[in-house]
Amino acid sequence: MNGATMQTDVHVDVRRISQRFRSGRQGDLLALDRIDLQARRGEFVSIVGPSGCGKSTLLYIVAGLLQASDGEVLVDGAPIDGPHPDRGLVLQNSSIFPWRTVAENVAFGPQMSGLPQAERRSLVAHYLDMVGLTKFANFYPRELSGGMKQRIAIAQMLACGPSVFLMDEPFGALDSLSREVLQDQLLQLWERDRKTVLFVTHSIDEAVLLSDRIVIMSPLPGRVKEIVEVDLPRPRQETRALPEFGRLRSHIWSAIRQETMEAIG
Amino acid sequence: MTVVTTTDQARLDKSEAQGAAPALQIQSHSPESRGQKVWSKLTAVTRYYPVFLIFLIWEVLSLLNVFDPMFMPPLEEVAKTFYREVFVTHELLAHIGVSFMRAGAGLGLAAVVGIAAGILMGRVRVVESFLDPLISALFPTPKLALFPLMMIFLGIGDASKIALIFLGCFFPIVINTYTGVKNVDKFFVWNAQTKGASHRQLIWHVILPASLPFVFAGLRVATSTAFLLIVASELIAANDGLGYLIMFAERSFDPALMWCGILVIAAMGFTVDRLLLALGARLFVWQDK
Repeated sequence: MNGATMQTDVHVDVRRISQRFRSGRQGDLLALDRIDLQARRGEFVSIVGPSGCGKSTLLYIVAGLLQASDGEVLVDGAPIDGPHPDRGLVLQNSSIFPWRTVAENVAFGPQMSGLPQAERRSLVAHYLDMVGLTKFANFYPRELSGGMKQRIAIAQMLACGPSVFLMDEPFGALDSLSREVLQDQLLQLWERDRKTVLFVTHSIDEAVLLSDRIVIMSPLPGRVKEIVEVDLPRPRQETRALPEFGRLRSHIWSAIRQETMEAIG
Repeated sequence: MTVVTTTDQARLDKSEAQGAAPALQIQSHSPESRGQKVWSKLTAVTRYYPVFLIFLIWEVLSLLNVFDPMFMPPLEEVAKTFYREVFVTHELLAHIGVSFMRAGAGLGLAAVVGIAAGILMGRVRVVESFLDPLISALFPTPKLALFPLMMIFLGIGDASKIALIFLGCFFPIVINTYTGVKNVDKFFVWNAQTKGASHRQLIWHVILPASLPFVFAGLRVATSTAFLLIVASELIAANDGLGYLIMFAERSFDPALMWCGILVIAAMGFTVDRLLLALGARLFVWQDK
């Protein structure tokens, strides 16, 4: 067995994760059923599926925020134990802190780890510049648009220096223009730093545009239905126009159409 | 000297503008802003014209001998008494000081214990299941009913009154804090945890600021409760304080002094509430209106 080489390659290793929720009369609800999923170091993996397939639950388990009923998550070969700033999280709803200014929000992680003020300040300036919000450093989130808030959330995560990005529909609540702009910015960022990304989305276009691999999940119970390799060339900024893009898109859509229909009812 | 004050004023303007909205920074340096400021202060005062109107009616009716001066002396009598008690004998100041100290001690204690207990209730299941039924049972009990009991244990001095105010203020503070903590968005907590916040940091940097608007609402209710209870308890049994002063004036047929006490209490309650509101407006600039 060449276990050693395998282990250095796999960064995030989800092993037979199951999740049961208590749900009153119907007894237990099996939200996730023996999920196996590996992300290589520097790989961009998207998770798509109709609502109720447990894709967000899976992400929260990898983040260490939820305890799985069964199975384990390994990061760099070691089982995770609760949340850790090495696994950064960006949520759909702006989970940035409204009582902190933009700069204070970005400084949150470094402040928690006790980084001295001077270093914190230059770090914040760096990441604010990266997401283009330097001018808004002293604004409160309520004064900003949804797209800006998500950029703060991303900067807040980056400032903790994570090696894994966990993103739960980060652009889900945005209008389509802001969405495309942020997708491009995330692509640029990722192509430069090549962090490992687990990206939950319900947009097939978004998944195809960003990912190396797409995990398609089916609901009730949540299972991995299919894993699709996306072999489109990078950089991907102009990829939306390629015929291959459309082919992948329709392939994934046909894979989840039936469940989506059922989920909608 | 003038230079110093203007720069001070400018600095003040600037910091205020930053607190409210950074976009307004430039505007506050323009020359008409000071005039606007004076004007806005003036309108703030004129907003209370009904109060002055009532004073005027009082004075006129007293001069026309409509009121029995044993109940309602002319306003200038009250003013004269006020002047004498404040600037000549200083007695009123002593009473104000005593009442303020008792109310402040009770309220301060209630704030510390109430906020701590509220946070613990909201975060620790055992504390919640222990305190929740106790609070539900005790909250509707009128705390003033416990005052005789407290006098038995603590005497008629400061201790029984501070204890009474503590009890009366504790409930609105603990209940509001608990509600606030329970209402903190799960995603704020999760976000903080994935950014490396420890338990203690989570409380200080997320739970507390997120629930502060609720805590503050509780403090406001508690403040009015404190004023109610301080006067009530001093009316019942005391040797000093504003409640005692009112009772003493009534018994010694000095209606001007009585009105003095009543108006001072009213003014104190009003001022403290306004100060709290102003502080709240400062603290919660980040909130969506």
